[in-house]
Amino acid sequence: MKRRLIISTSVDLVRIDPNQIVYISSDGNYSTLVQADNETRMVSYQLGQIEKMISSQLGNDGKNFIRIGKSLIVNSSYIYYINIAKQKLVLSNVSSFSHTVTASKEALKQLKEMFESEVK
Amino acid sequence: MKDLKDIRDDQIRVVGEESKDNKSSRNMYIIVSLIAIVVIGVVMLLTLNNKKISEQQMVEPSLFEPEVVALPEEKTVELERLGREVGLSETGFVEIKDTLINDVPIRIYIPHNATMSLHIGKLNRTDTTIIYAAQAADVRADNGGIVGAFVLKGEPKAWGLSKRGFCASIDGNITIGVEDNSPLFEEATETGGYFFRQYPLVKNGAVVENEIKTKSVRRSICDRNGEIFMVESLTKESFHDFSQVLVDLGVDQAIYLIGSSSYGWAVDENGQMHEFGEDLYYKYKKKIPRNISYLIWRKN
Repeated sequence: MKRRLIISTSVDLVRIDPNQIVYISSDGNYSTLVQADNETRMVSYQLGQIEKMISSQLGNDGKNFIRIGKSLIVNSSYIYYINIAKQKLVLSNVSSFSHTVTASKEALKQLKEMFESEVK
Repeated sequence: MKDLKDIRDDQIRVVGEESKDNKSSRNMYIIVSLIAIVVIGVVMLLTLNNKKISEQQMVEPSLFEPEVVALPEEKTVELERLGREVGLSETGFVEIKDTLINDVPIRIYIPHNATMSLHIGKLNRTDTTIIYAAQAADVRADNGGIVGAFVLKGEPKAWGLSKRGFCASIDGNITIGVEDNSPLFEEATETGGYFFRQYPLVKNGAVVENEIKTKSVRRSICDRNGEIFMVESLTKESFHDFSQVLVDLGVDQAIYLIGSSSYGWAVDENGQMHEFGEDLYYKYKKKIPRNISYLIWRKN
């Protein structure tokens, strides 16, 4: 069976197909998980803790996720548009959702170079 | 779990791998750091040597006890309680006091022989055990969720840190404060307590500045030397002016309660109900938000 990411706290549990995660943003001591069905879910973990969960639970599938700076983890499958000057990153499946997030110019530059290197 | 290193805002990394970084700038950091360490080491060595020499030349046996400077004792002024003394056998009620501070008319609601809790959804106005009710947390306009962390009788209903002020009621003890991450959230979930977040107004007796500059009728829950009460401005005030009024009233900690025309009431010692705000949801059957929340005080 396909691996699911499980985020468990003392009172609840989230179990989700990693492909259904568009991005996860940091809200201080909490994180907001934005799903492909346009729902959002807040979890009581810091972004760094979520990153560790992705890494340990999903193994190689976790490499599909990219940590961008202190505040974002994005699903690289949904990276649709990068604009360094406007510090804009659009995450979209080009059909049912499109989310715009911001990141530093240097981080976006590295992201752009990473994708460029894939086609060289 | 694998330990991951911290990341800067100008870095990215594939999850599970090391951060991508500019190699030349990283090398430069290492070189500069090494040089700095060597320079600091040399300076410290020279300083220590000089100090040792001068100490050997200068030190004499001490003849006197080291001088002790007495610090002036801090004057503590005992604040008089705002509410009057009430016997434990009396039925719970709210003492209502009107006063004027900095030309701002305010009403103070002091609950006696009552316990604070939270409620989600429409209130039963005929419930005679409720002696005070006012809207507590904000409701999100986009999805109707509660803004900020919220615990109802031990059950967490919302997570989040939109507002830094918090109020917790655990085993009858009320704590009002300003913190990013309060352990009282967890404690409330473990002990069947209550917790909500709102704008902070006063922290340790000082005004907390908020971005909102508009004027409106303001409400708050306050802690003044351990005495918990609610304050309402009877005129439209900015957050800053209202917070300053609370500070001048001697309040130590205070957070906001939803103000403006939000509905609530207080029951005085004669059993008379004093309503405030507009009772649209109650009188005119206007559709009430699913997650509307109230801070309530019930008779013990």
